[in-house]
Amino acid sequence: MNEYVSGNASQRQRKSGSEFIGRSLPRKEDDRLLRGDGRFVDDIDLAHQLEMAVGRCPFPHARIRAIDVSRASEMIGVRHILVGSDVKKLSEPIQVLRPVPGAPPLPYYALAQDVAVHEGQAVVSVVATSRAIAEDAIEQIEIDYEPLPHVVDTLETLSDAAPLLHPDVLESNLLASNIDSNGKPDAIMAEADVVLTGRFRINRVTAFPMEGRAVLASWRPGARELAVQSSTQVPHLVRKQLAESLRLDEGEIRVVASDVGGAFGLKLGAYPEDILACLHAMALRHPVKWVEDRMEHFRASTHGREAVHDFAVAAERTGRITALTNNYTTDLGGWNSSFGSAQLSSVVFTGPYKVADARVKRSVAITNKTPIGAYRGYGQPEVNFALEVLVDRLARQLAIDPYDLRAMNMLKPTDLPWRVPSGAIYDSGDYLQSLKIAADAVDYTGHRARPRTARADGRLVGVGLSSFVERTGYASARFLANRGSQFGAHESVTLRANRSGSIDLYTGVSTFGQGSETAFAQICADVLGVDYEKIHVHAGDTAASPLNTGAFASRTLIAAAGAINKAALLFRERTFKIAAAILEASPADLDIQGDVVVLRSNHARAVSTKEIFRRAILGQGIPASDAPGLEATAFFEPTDAAFSFGTAASVVAVDPETGEFAVERFVMVHDCGKSVNPMLVEGQVRGALVQGLGAALGEELRYDRETGQLLSGSMLDYFVPTAADIPPIELLHTEVLSPVTTFGVRGVGEVGTIPPAAAIANAICDALAEFGVEISELPLTPEAVWRALRAAKTSSSLENQSEKRKTKPYEHAAE
Amino acid sequence: MGTNEIEITLQVNGEEVNADVPVRMHAADFLRHRVGVTGTHVGCEQGVCGNCTIIVDGRAVKSCLMLAAQLEGTQVQTVEGLAAGDQLNELQEAFKRNHALQCGYCTPGFLMLITSLADRPSPPSRDEIREEISGVLCRCTGYEGIIRAAEEYLLKTCVAKNGMEQLP
Ligand code: FES
Ligand code: FES
Repeated sequence: MNEYVSGNASQRQRKSGSEFIGRSLPRKEDDRLLRGDGRFVDDIDLAHQLEMAVGRCPFPHARIRAIDVSRASEMIGVRHILVGSDVKKLSEPIQVLRPVPGAPPLPYYALAQDVAVHEGQAVVSVVATSRAIAEDAIEQIEIDYEPLPHVVDTLETLSDAAPLLHPDVLESNLLASNIDSNGKPDAIMAEADVVLTGRFRINRVTAFPMEGRAVLASWRPGARELAVQSSTQVPHLVRKQLAESLRLDEGEIRVVASDVGGAFGLKLGAYPEDILACLHAMALRHPVKWVEDRMEHFRASTHGREAVHDFAVAAERTGRITALTNNYTTDLGGWNSSFGSAQLSSVVFTGPYKVADARVKRSVAITNKTPIGAYRGYGQPEVNFALEVLVDRLARQLAIDPYDLRAMNMLKPTDLPWRVPSGAIYDSGDYLQSLKIAADAVDYTGHRARPRTARADGRLVGVGLSSFVERTGYASARFLANRGSQFGAHESVTLRANRSGSIDLYTGVSTFGQGSETAFAQICADVLGVDYEKIHVHAGDTAASPLNTGAFASRTLIAAAGAINKAALLFRERTFKIAAAILEASPADLDIQGDVVVLRSNHARAVSTKEIFRRAILGQGIPASDAPGLEATAFFEPTDAAFSFGTAASVVAVDPETGEFAVERFVMVHDCGKSVNPMLVEGQVRGALVQGLGAALGEELRYDRETGQLLSGSMLDYFVPTAADIPPIELLHTEVLSPVTTFGVRGVGEVGTIPPAAAIANAICDALAEFGVEISELPLTPEAVWRALRAAKTSSSLENQSEKRKTKPYEHAAE
Repeated sequence: MGTNEIEITLQVNGEEVNADVPVRMHAADFLRHRVGVTGTHVGCEQGVCGNCTIIVDGRAVKSCLMLAAQLEGTQVQTVEGLAAGDQLNELQEAFKRNHALQCGYCTPGFLMLITSLADRPSPPSRDEIREEISGVLCRCTGYEGIIRAAEEYLLKTCVAKNGMEQLP
């Protein structure tokens, strides 16, 4: 970790790999964004640009009998209208990027064909000289809908009575089921001392980036070039999807994502509006812009999370967990979006625990709701809530402290690497240490030692824990290919020398807040030995970056660190070769120090990078055997996923009369391996925690069972946390390097969404332990707690009569 | 249909702007697409997200809730007016130091709102800051960096202003 090895004062040598990695350097992205100089899609207006508006199905399920556009098409300013049959003629269905293994494809056109399957599904689109005119025109289009029976409940849709939503493809509303299993969980459960089961419902939420989706498409037929400015986190994958749907060659398409106003998984892949804007632009030879409004966003951008988990845990009386099973159903909504519903619950359903006998079954249910897509965490927050609440229940049942039960069952560093039933391998970590640190931080032992009495205001105080293991990155392209994924596991980067001595870094990773421009430049500067300021990062343009995968699944840095490292080493080698000729030295004896290449043994013998780069660019003054130019491109695919881990602890005060509660402390202990920029890490964890808290405590997209309508689809009904809503959050880190990644990094973008719900639910149940309160649903509102209290009071009065059950306080075995 | 237009004259970041604007166009659209200052962002057009906050005659307002026509005769400040040349101002520097922005979409709204608080007679407490800025939504940062930056900045400006003679 020393930046310099000391020696002769005139001969201090820099050791590579330590100058910039690990420092909270100021972000490359900040200046432009602070000055209002970002370039989000709607910041760009092109000459002769037209605007698009989309007409959407108001019903959850309806047959489209007829569409009459005659009045709209006569309106002044209206330039072009598309309906479902046009789209079918002109384009192909959107290809899913991450299909559900074993599922048949559900062809998904940009506009509804005969039947629309969710409220908000696009049915017609209009392009006009202004958005206002296009919207007025939509009002004038007559659509004859025949409402069909609908179903919006995740489990009800699997019953025989439910209307079939894709009768041409499926015989039920079950898209597919997948099982991962290891050992003999059923046999163990049959014999176990204790078996506990629980059903947990996880709410449907939305990622809600502050910038909605947006697209600006222009087509030059003579050049056969479709230029698409898009608010996406995967420009290269969108290009692939557009090529397939629009029947173009990938080489004819350029996708650019300059600045993206938040993404969180919601901007992963092409959406119908992207196809529509392109179709209009190609028909009109005019640029066409579409900017999603907030009402559309709630109905047409993918939702996240919604699932029902049925867990069973078997344990010995001592507390050792012997088997786990999890049968869960994710709600897909009406279609399979680019990423579909969450898949990672199946990977981490055993959490940080050493349970070899375990089975998980995932079922994917189709309902008349907006399609679900990737959202930060992608199944891991959902399963963590279910498992960690169940672990606390088991602790209460066995009268063992929840801390001790966790500690007793956790995988130890010596147990790792550990293969879970899905086949994934936990690489390394110290799970117990994170548990200890979190418990100490909230004075867990002190809390247990104090008498369980109410405060003067009548509130009871509880403390809750939630431990987790999180998959970050992908195991490999082979792993993905086995699951039918339409993308690889690699990242790539190009480095290019400039005459001034600066270096251009080109990446297909777009910038949506994650700080990748900064982290990439840090790694690049570090490996090369040049100044951080000398690296210019150019991001998110498919025409100016090597082919890549994109930023999602907490994978970017894991893969990109390897690519940058590789490219920088190539670039360095080439730089040394030219310098060696100038300095009449051997390349092996050279080093880069900021803007000069020096002879290690004598720093007075030096040549500037400016001079080297200039010679390379001109092809003059370089060894005769060398080709001119100084540029390096490298691809890197990680061999394994890295698993991050940690524990959250919360202290919550609950009013046992009203159910109102306040999160008084929230501590997060987290390990992302080597931290490239601690400031960015803190920002990622905090931001995700607040999203996790929002989803745990209030956010919910509710649908009315009778009408099938979205009830909370506006900013006035859907509560995104404000600065005034946030409990005090304390962050603590451990740093166990991952053995499977470059520099030992683990992903960090999503982790904060995982533990909040269980940590708070467990604290509430702890506070209300004397009432026997159980929490099984999200979000956790005061009303939900009040209901749980009522339910517990009713059942416990029954139980007291029959003296079947006593609620014991925990016996904390610590100390 | 936007055929009904009205002429307005105003100052945007100290420069005079004269324009014909459709009567139903809101101020945010006018600034972004007619004046060309696109730093002011639109997150909802319903007056809820505060991302469109600008300063009009010294007061922070949500520009999606105002009509362009209402800007007649006003002094408008947007995020583009904060930096002096290439030099970020103190609030912008505080944002940078405290990692108060990620995607940066909400940032101009917070910058303008906090700028409008700089004249308070005394620096607000942390809790007051949380309340004051709760009218602007950020989905990336979890707010901590923004609160820290506001605290640092307002501690300086409010004390400084307080120390000076107050103009009526
Ligand atoms: S855009 Fe003005 S408050 Fe949201
Ligand atoms: S920084 Fe992205 S919304 Fe605030």
